Amino acid sequence: MKRLVALVPVAWLGLFFLVPFLVLLKISFSEPAIAQPPYLPLLDWADGILTIALNLGNYIFLTEDPLYLLSYLSSVKIAAISTVLTLLLGYPMAYVIARAPEHRRGLLLMLVILPFWTSFLLRVYAWIGLLKANGIVNNALLAVGVIDQPLVMLQTDFAVYLGIVYTYLPFMILPLYATLSKLDADLLDASADLGARPGTTFLTVTLPLSLPGVVAGSMLVFIPAVGEYIIPALLGGPGTLMIGSVLWNEFFLNRDWPVAAAVAIVMVLVLALPIALLRRVQAREGERP
Amino acid sequence: MSNPFIRIDGVTRTFGEVYAVDDVSLDIQQGELFCLLGGSGSGKSTLLRMLAGFERPTAGRIIIDGRDMTDVPPHARDVNMMFQSYALFPHMSVERNIAYGLHRMGMPKAQIATRVTDMLSLVQMEKLARRKPDQLSGGQRQRVALARALARRPKLLLLDEPLGALDRKLREETQLELKKIQSSLGITFIVVTHDQEEAMTLGDRLGVMNEGRIVQVGAPHEVYEFPQSRFVADFIGTVNLFEGTIAEDRDTDAVIASPEAGIDIRIPHAVTGTAGQPVAVALRPEKIVISRTLPDPYDNVLTGQVTDIVYSGNLSVFHVTLASGKRVRVSRTNRLRAESEGIGAGDAVQLGFTGQSAVVLAS
Ligand SMILES: Nc1ncnc2c1ncn2[C@@H]1O[C@H](COP(=O)(O)OP(=O)(O)O)[C@@H](O)[C@H]1O
Ligand SMILES: [Mg+2]
Repeated sequence: MKRLVALVPVAWLGLFFLVPFLVLLKISFSEPAIAQPPYLPLLDWADGILTIALNLGNYIFLTEDPLYLLSYLSSVKIAAISTVLTLLLGYPMAYVIARAPEHRRGLLLMLVILPFWTSFLLRVYAWIGLLKANGIVNNALLAVGVIDQPLVMLQTDFAVYLGIVYTYLPFMILPLYATLSKLDADLLDASADLGARPGTTFLTVTLPLSLPGVVAGSMLVFIPAVGEYIIPALLGGPGTLMIGSVLWNEFFLNRDWPVAAAVAIVMVLVLALPIALLRRVQAREGERP
Repeated sequence: MSNPFIRIDGVTRTFGEVYAVDDVSLDIQQGELFCLLGGSGSGKSTLLRMLAGFERPTAGRIIIDGRDMTDVPPHARDVNMMFQSYALFPHMSVERNIAYGLHRMGMPKAQIATRVTDMLSLVQMEKLARRKPDQLSGGQRQRVALARALARRPKLLLLDEPLGALDRKLREETQLELKKIQSSLGITFIVVTHDQEEAMTLGDRLGVMNEGRIVQVGAPHEVYEFPQSRFVADFIGTVNLFEGTIAEDRDTDAVIASPEAGIDIRIPHAVTGTAGQPVAVALRPEKIVISRTLPDPYDNVLTGQVTDIVYSGNLSVFHVTLASGKRVRVSRTNRLRAESEGIGAGDAVQLGFTGQSAVVLAS
């Protein structure tokens, strides 16, 4: 029975991650065609001979057009900056919730999760209403007299950062809360008792012990943010370069499925490599006495 | 002595409606090993946490070494605490745990290394200096926590149930060790415990707490032999309480009429109170001699029937029911392997005691 239960996540990952990944891998090595589906088969039975037409051209193409490299770099940059901003904003919030009286924590956590009750798309659209030239924010600032020209906020990188930080904040707060609420209050008292001021205690005790939460939260924000499509599409401008939009364009505008698949495969590798490295580092830390 | 080293002056701490500590005043001398003894929830930890600075008194003052510390934050106090949970930093090795407080003092590195080595040898943990806390046994963690708390050479060390997590044998060994360390370093210790035996073994003096108040302070034998209230008599050790009234009260002796005991109990000294006042006579089980027929005369002799014998190796405890229905406990060391007199359940026995070993408590 136990084994069966353990098989569930394996089966889940196999079905919804590995199989699609292999399908994508296959497409990425095939020849584009004007057909249905729009690529040529990889394996061909011709005259009783099995030929495998492995086409590396899609990958070579990615290196030839600087658009792809720039998009990857720009996506990673935007995701990394957003992750840092989310961490800076989420850490104090998680800390306050974890230190709040126990009967109030439920309510505070509820408030963190509350935005999930409306559709993600609606919430991003709401930001358009807030940020546009005659939107709520500009109108309020104009009315107060802080500005006399509407600020250009929509269709800028600023709006993309804002959208990503806003959307992914709960994914940062929840794992941070989980580690911070497990932090033994006696440890903080012990640190103060041994002569540490509150700031020192934070740096020497709280922060190192909440590192697993920092890593988990950052992963949960960084990984989906790299591939984010909707937020840059709705809030970003023409200059906002992200791999998600490139992918979308290849699939739906160019109908070049093999190149799109290659873009996606490279994105998975771009994400998987640092994670694998991090896990190895963590495993080694765990072994160290 | 002139000024006490620690003066706790009318300290109260409330949590909402709860009086965790209720108007406690207490003086503790330099170099003393003072035990705070009380049941769970009696306010021991709260009092200790106020001395460490983690809690602010709702009212009252705390003066340590002549300085009013009531509003001084914990990091600025020359006081260290050993936590009940030990509170060792899990991400630091034994060494780094011990060095933690020294770094905070801004001590030079070389000096820290020497001090850490000293502390490790004090608690005999030299070999495990590089281990992390989760690679240590309970007893080893306890030693590290002690070493860490002592490393800064505080004026005052607070220990909250320091031996609570250890098994019995280790506890007894560690009690002696703790006492040795304390007297060799000359640091004032305040030890919280709920274990009365531990408090009596460890403490130079002890303070008994109940519902946030200190109900009696004294040397262990004073508190044991001369409890001032029913609570203390009952809480420390076991006790037989005979209800009665003062029948005669003179300058040199007194008589307490106790229908429960079935006799008039003779006390060879004056008691506080007036004739007719209800009192209780407290008598420890080991102060009573049990026999079928007592070989020697006693001031007071009760008669009853043995209903139960509880054998615990070194001791046997006899439960004797008197004519009034009152049950009395009598303990006797098993000096001989084969019991010569062989008192068994159901036997009629005589219980003898001197009035000198009884305590008269006002009701
Ligand atoms: N932080 C707190 N908040 C609310 N009540 C508390 C707090 N700390 C202690 N108390 C209450 O104060 C009383 C004394 O607690 P404590 O000092 O821990 O007792 P002890 O250490 O003797 O077991 C208890 O009733 C406890 O519930
Ligand atoms: Mg306690």
